[in-house]
Amino acid sequence: MTGRVCRGCGGTDIELDAARGDAVCTGCGSVLEDNIIVSEVQFVENSGGGSSAVGQFVSLDGAGKAPTLGGGFHVSLGKESRAQTLQNGRRQIHHLGNQLQLNQHCLDTAFNFFKMAVSKHLTRGRRTAHVVAACLYLVCRTEGTPHMLLDLSDLLQVNVYVLGKTFLLLARELCINAPAIDPCLYIPRFAHLLEFGEKNHEVSMTALRLLQRMKRDWMHTGRRPSGLCGAALLVAARMHDFRRTVKEVISVVKVCESTLRKRLTEFEDTPTSQLTVDEFMKIDLEEECDPPSYTAGQRKLRLKQLEQVLSKQLEAVEGEITTYQDAIEIELENSRPKAKGALASLTKDGSVEDSTSSLCGEEDTEDEELEAAASHLNKDFYQELLGGSVPGSSEAAGVPEEGRRPPALESLLGPLPTAASLGISDSIRECISSPSHEPKDACGDGELDLSGIDDLEIDRYILNEAEARVKAELWMRENAEYLREQKEKEARIAKERELGIYKEHKPKKSCKRREPIQASTAGEAIEKMLEQKKISSKINYSVLRGLDAGGGPPGEDGPPPREHGPPPGEDTGPQGEAARPPEWTSARRLSRRKTSSRRSRPDPSTSAGKRLRPLVSTQPAKKVALGEASLPSAHSLEAERVRPTVVVVESGPVSYHAEEDAEEEDAEEEDGEPCVSALQMMGGNDYGCDGDDDDGY
Amino acid sequence: MDADSDVALDILITNVVCVFRTRCHLNLRKIALEGANVIYKRDVGKVLMKLRKPRITATIWSSGKIICTGATSEEEAKFGARRLARSLQKLGFQVIFTDFKVVNVLAVCNMPFEIRLPEFTKNNRPHASYEPELHPAVCYRIKSLRATLQIFSTGSITVTGILF
Repeated sequence: MTGRVCRGCGGTDIELDAARGDAVCTGCGSVLEDNIIVSEVQFVENSGGGSSAVGQFVSLDGAGKAPTLGGGFHVSLGKESRAQTLQNGRRQIHHLGNQLQLNQHCLDTAFNFFKMAVSKHLTRGRRTAHVVAACLYLVCRTEGTPHMLLDLSDLLQVNVYVLGKTFLLLARELCINAPAIDPCLYIPRFAHLLEFGEKNHEVSMTALRLLQRMKRDWMHTGRRPSGLCGAALLVAARMHDFRRTVKEVISVVKVCESTLRKRLTEFEDTPTSQLTVDEFMKIDLEEECDPPSYTAGQRKLRLKQLEQVLSKQLEAVEGEITTYQDAIEIELENSRPKAKGALASLTKDGSVEDSTSSLCGEEDTEDEELEAAASHLNKDFYQELLGGSVPGSSEAAGVPEEGRRPPALESLLGPLPTAASLGISDSIRECISSPSHEPKDACGDGELDLSGIDDLEIDRYILNEAEARVKAELWMRENAEYLREQKEKEARIAKERELGIYKEHKPKKSCKRREPIQASTAGEAIEKMLEQKKISSKINYSVLRGLDAGGGPPGEDGPPPREHGPPPGEDTGPQGEAARPPEWTSARRLSRRKTSSRRSRPDPSTSAGKRLRPLVSTQPAKKVALGEASLPSAHSLEAERVRPTVVVVESGPVSYHAEEDAEEEDAEEEDGEPCVSALQMMGGNDYGCDGDDDDGY
Repeated sequence: MDADSDVALDILITNVVCVFRTRCHLNLRKIALEGANVIYKRDVGKVLMKLRKPRITATIWSSGKIICTGATSEEEAKFGARRLARSLQKLGFQVIFTDFKVVNVLAVCNMPFEIRLPEFTKNNRPHASYEPELHPAVCYRIKSLRATLQIFSTGSITVTGILF
């Protein structure tokens, strides 16, 4: 091209013809190069008359197929592993993204995330599906689309927490800060699914307001946004006279019914719930509530404190149980008639003490209702003690007492008699005190010994034989299923191992034990054999039959079939042979040759030809070895002997084959073994069975 | 154990996880049959043994590796591990108590105030991660101390980690 020198004449005048793709020396005319590859644009004419350029679009990511030069060499030119991974990931991203109805921009971003993940080796050891889902969810979060992780896990049928783990890892490794989920994002989506029709927008707005209220009331921290949305939407729907049942809402929002109920209850506890619909739309309460779990925790704390205080009180008042009982009885008597002056004052004191103690007892049992009353009364009680320690000190003290007493009485008389509650309080007190003792006992007692003597304690851990047996039986019964599965699995493996040899051959077709071909004519035998061997459907049977029309006498059919088995693979032109005079040997030869030719016709195109011949040739040897009728052997031998002579006369290719076969046959006559091994070496696919069959013979 | 002047912040260690080796092959079946306080999980190939005195649960593998959980302090963990090794000795195995190592300590503490998780996450971006869909707490990781804190909105904090 650029000043090349011609090899023939040494001249430098070389002409390049782009059309023919040649480089020719103009001096001597020798062709220096042909089939030059040029880079030119070629145009092709369309059916409409227009022309279009010839070429392919190649993707930027290198995902296109490598061009196959010379056709069919796909072996390792294809793609590298990295490109394949990326292409696979891209495909999955698009598949999932379309199901989620994400736009192209999101999908591209997700693919970028995926590329980053692959470059950081985060896909190793993780299912591509998980990584793909995590990338998509990351995009959803950054874009703010109303897709939940639950949606993705639904599509993939994967546990949400597994996906979440992958997602968190990805976000951390890629240093991408996914903005927190705002439950408000989900409202339009869920509202749409709940089908509010025209009022969709209004309901959504109401639900949004509710959500914001919930946020201020601290209901949304640590909670699934979908649960809050569900509660807000349910209330909003009811506010606008839509009858949406809890079941409908939970099917859309994907939370549990109890979760929804709980959210509703929590919302009920907030002061906002007391507003009417109109008020809610207009007013926004100023105060904020504590989070419900915090409230619950605080309540528990308060109760505990109260219990402690009360138990102290009970302990302090312990000695006065009997007096309480008497006082209660007195009070009961007095409660029916109106309290008289002097007696009343006496009873008042007792009853006040009573009421507090009984109230204490009731509180132990029913915390919530009387909690406030108890604290109130306790305070007053203490105030009384402090202020007016002498019972019935002042009328002023007594009046407030009296004022307070009726409610105390009512609360007393409402439930069971105070004696009962007192009795309970006694037992409760015992219960409270005893558990405090129990742990101490358990520490020492449960182990029987103190820490010094460890061995004895450890000996207790070891069961004796009877116990061991019982335990073993229990365990067996419990894990019976697992044990059964294991046994089945082992049995299956053992069986497969036994049948392993046979199983290998099973997938290969025509691997049945073939019966010896029994045919009355050579042609029939050929047909049967062909059917069994399934060599080719392109054989013209009619021609085949025609060839054998003048075949030998039926008497020869005995030996011929057997000899069909081992056709010496002699190949002759079928037509050429057909012209021969039909001697019985030649007929046999013909048939043999034909069969061999039949086999070997398709054979040269496939590599099975070689296989056929050795197999075919082994059979006679084996049959000979098995000591069948000497006649066939004699025949075969004779035929084989005859064949070589005939073979020589025939045409080239035939003789080629014949010579080979002759050699093989001679070899076989001497020793059948090498041929058998050759068969096996050749893979012996179809014919392994035949080999076995022969063994069976 | 931090104790401020105004507010006493009690950190309680609730769990100590440790591992040790027995340097001998253990026949799980034998342990399962003769131990009074064991659960044999054949499908995963381990035995769970529970002790009462230091309340611990031990997972025993046939290779001789044992993981001990449930102790409330490091000394208790070691004590329990020794007891466990002793009981295995009594069962007849040639146990050698080696490679004792505490791998994880879990502590709980309570704040007297609530915490706003979304804002907290925003202000502590790289360390804190909050996924309300998955877990109600914020996961705050301190890489230098190799510790993980789970911060709940009620103010209770769970600290877990190990420093070698």
